[in-house]
Amino acid sequence: MSEAGEHSTTPVTLVDPIDISTLDPHFRNEIRSMPNGDDLYACFACTTCTAACPIACQWTYKPHQLIRMILLGMRNEVLSSKEIWECLTCFQCQERCPQGVRVTDIIFDCKNLAAEEGLVPENILGLGRQLLESGQLYQVTADWEREDLGLEPEVPGLDPEPMKAILHGTRTGRLVGGGD
Amino acid sequence: MPTYNLYMGCSVPANYPNYEISMLKVAEALGIDLVYMEGVGCCGSPNLRAIDYFGWLLVNARTLAIAEKSGHDVVTPCNGCFGSLKDVHHFLLHNSEYRTRVNEELNSEGLEFTGRVRPRHFIEVLYTDIGIDAIREKVTRPLDGVGIAIHYGCHLLRPADVTEFDPAILDELVRVTGATVVEYPLWKQCCGATVLPVNEALAVRLARDKLKSIKEAGASFITVVCPACGNQLDLQQLGLKTSYGEVYDLPVLLYPQILALAMGMSEDEIGLEMNRVPAQPILEHLTG
Amino acid sequence: MVGPVLIVGAGVAGMTAAVELADAGVHTVLVERLSTVGGNALRLYKAFPTDDCFFCFEGNRWRPGIRKCFYRSALTDQPNIDLRVNTTVVDISGTPGSFTVRLRTEPTYVDPKKCILCGLCTTRSEAFKLSSPQCQPQTVSVDPTLLDDEARRVASECPTHAIDLDATPSEDTLVVSDIVIATGYHEFKPQGVQEYGYGEHPNIITQLELAEMLDPTGPSGGVLLRPSDGAPVERVMMVQCVGSRSVDHFPFCSKICCVFALKHANIIAQEHNGIRVDVVYMDIRTYDRHERYYRMARRAGVGFIRGRVSRVVPRDDGRLDVVIYDSLLDQYLQYEVDLFVLSSALEPSEGTAALISQLGLQDRSGFVAPVEDGSVDGVMAGDHVFVCGTALGPAEVPESVTQARAVVSRILQGGV
Repeated sequence: MSEAGEHSTTPVTLVDPIDISTLDPHFRNEIRSMPNGDDLYACFACTTCTAACPIACQWTYKPHQLIRMILLGMRNEVLSSKEIWECLTCFQCQERCPQGVRVTDIIFDCKNLAAEEGLVPENILGLGRQLLESGQLYQVTADWEREDLGLEPEVPGLDPEPMKAILHGTRTGRLVGGGD
Repeated sequence: MPTYNLYMGCSVPANYPNYEISMLKVAEALGIDLVYMEGVGCCGSPNLRAIDYFGWLLVNARTLAIAEKSGHDVVTPCNGCFGSLKDVHHFLLHNSEYRTRVNEELNSEGLEFTGRVRPRHFIEVLYTDIGIDAIREKVTRPLDGVGIAIHYGCHLLRPADVTEFDPAILDELVRVTGATVVEYPLWKQCCGATVLPVNEALAVRLARDKLKSIKEAGASFITVVCPACGNQLDLQQLGLKTSYGEVYDLPVLLYPQILALAMGMSEDEIGLEMNRVPAQPILEHLTG
Repeated sequence: MVGPVLIVGAGVAGMTAAVELADAGVHTVLVERLSTVGGNALRLYKAFPTDDCFFCFEGNRWRPGIRKCFYRSALTDQPNIDLRVNTTVVDISGTPGSFTVRLRTEPTYVDPKKCILCGLCTTRSEAFKLSSPQCQPQTVSVDPTLLDDEARRVASECPTHAIDLDATPSEDTLVVSDIVIATGYHEFKPQGVQEYGYGEHPNIITQLELAEMLDPTGPSGGVLLRPSDGAPVERVMMVQCVGSRSVDHFPFCSKICCVFALKHANIIAQEHNGIRVDVVYMDIRTYDRHERYYRMARRAGVGFIRGRVSRVVPRDDGRLDVVIYDSLLDQYLQYEVDLFVLSSALEPSEGTAALISQLGLQDRSGFVAPVEDGSVDGVMAGDHVFVCGTALGPAEVPESVTQARAVVSRILQGGV
């Protein structure tokens, strides 16, 4: 019977696995070629990083899962995750990793790859714009406070121009459209 | 008199002139010559590092290359700047490919990064170059009986192979003032400042955890060596009063303020009234 | 009075015990069920911990050279060793210190002292073959089920008259002072573990079967080909703990399968360009110094999936679709593989149970248990009865050698 034939080709199941052939097997090498990413391979998924992370409890993808996803090639999922941007950069994961995987550095690498694809949270992009336009994250607004303490109202030696010039030529310039 | 390149970054001069002045006063009293670096700006950490690694390398390598012209080590009071400079210094020393690329860019300004000057945190200079004994000699008004909880800050301590900072340094620097170091379980934990731009509620909860841990341990003050950590732990106490109805009353002092007080300087000299959680009442009570 | 000593099993442990006892002047009778010495190690290709071909392992200090030379010189030059291949123990009686042992020897048909390995018989008849280029004694073996007229013709043409196809089984009875059980292990054939489909599809194999495929002296010359159709293998998946750590099969950890699998994964990743290897595991247990194999495998790009297999579905193109639950991600993953390799449990070898019952020994999950009040070396199984190597339970080559030496030391001290 034709009905039985259909059943025999496709097992009826509720399990909907991730087809490994649809993932990006080069993602791991991409990360390994980035700054401090080379030791990625050493991860053996002990989950020390997640145990060390103060905010992993709030995350859908825990740190060890992010590393696992990189190794598997789940590029889109990693680069579009909110987790990489919420990373505190406190380096506890990296510090405790028994295999020397530079987990925090690798999350920085992921953010750089995400940025290259334009996947940057609005507020972070805003900080980038601020760096590009003013050359600083913080500017003196209350110079009378400095004067009250006997400091010069203008910060001695401060020059925001070189930062602006540098970032016009790098990814920040391309990202925030200030490269013109 | 030891001379250093003083790298202020952007946050201390803009938001914490009390940190800046107390550091300068302490340095002067201890015979440390801090010379403001010319032509430098913000380090970009950690947001620039997140979106533009190469831009971040360039900006910080440039700062170090400028310092190389005078040959004096670069000293900063900010953990963010310290972390950026240390990381870039370490990375470029160990990665010749990037070092070459960076130097090609710096060449247009006649600069070159070779790594021969070291980035250093101000407190590490106090400890290593001046020494606990020399500092002790200057302590005229010891803070005997004051329990201080230390918040070291992530980028001071980690990654340890990069920052090369021993937390015991700050413990000793607090003890030399006569104060007691109050240990608390969450001493390594992040203050939450870095997550503010993307998840403010989470940042508040991190600060709250930290403050609770410190309060329960019985500290009277918190000391910090970073404007971002200071801002987070100090300012969030005001927010927590309204959002959670919790009052911590834990004054957050920048370390040089504590040392300056112990060295007999006045509260006005070190801008203590700028600290949001008032420190004066407790100080008066404890030191008579 | 020590000796003669009966050693049952001529694998790593039995050979070591025999040679070292013989070198110490003790007459030993070394009994081996198969036609060659070497045991399972013969089929390992590269063996840990040195990654040499097993036969290139070092012998011992006073017989310098590699293990192959060690075996050969021991068997040809050491008169104290009485090697009996194709031989089994029928029964044991008597008392400790004076056991009476009855042995049965199946005919070998070829006299190793006369065989010159000229290749005449092996090229002309399937009944004759060299079981391995490394076999000891170095002689042709005969499969009696394949004997036909051509085989008989070939036998009569043997230039050294080494072949006697009319040989018959024989029995012998001897008295020995001590008995050493070195009966080794057998790799469990996991038909009973249904989710893996062993025995249902030719591309589902075990690690020892993979070792033979990887061996450059093996049937495919070391090239990985799908057993189903001979197509080149592009993707290999291994599954750990098949039958081990299961109350339904073997409750113990087979101990060496993790390193075994990692060793194979490394060989494939390093010597077989472009073949992808993934390992499905519950725990990777690399005891002792073997953690380096695990790290090496990760560096080589071997994939590790912590989880278990949901199902294996054969496809029309010769591949298998394997669905795995990844417990670290809490996701199901689907892989296409050419070769599905089961790291199957190690079980006691055939005949171990009979020896345990004949000698009234204790049993530990089917392996021989050391006596509880025995020495710290754990090699005493009873009065004048010793056990070493994988007859005690899963062990690696150096452990088997160490245990065999402990046995020799005890026997030389008077069997206590």
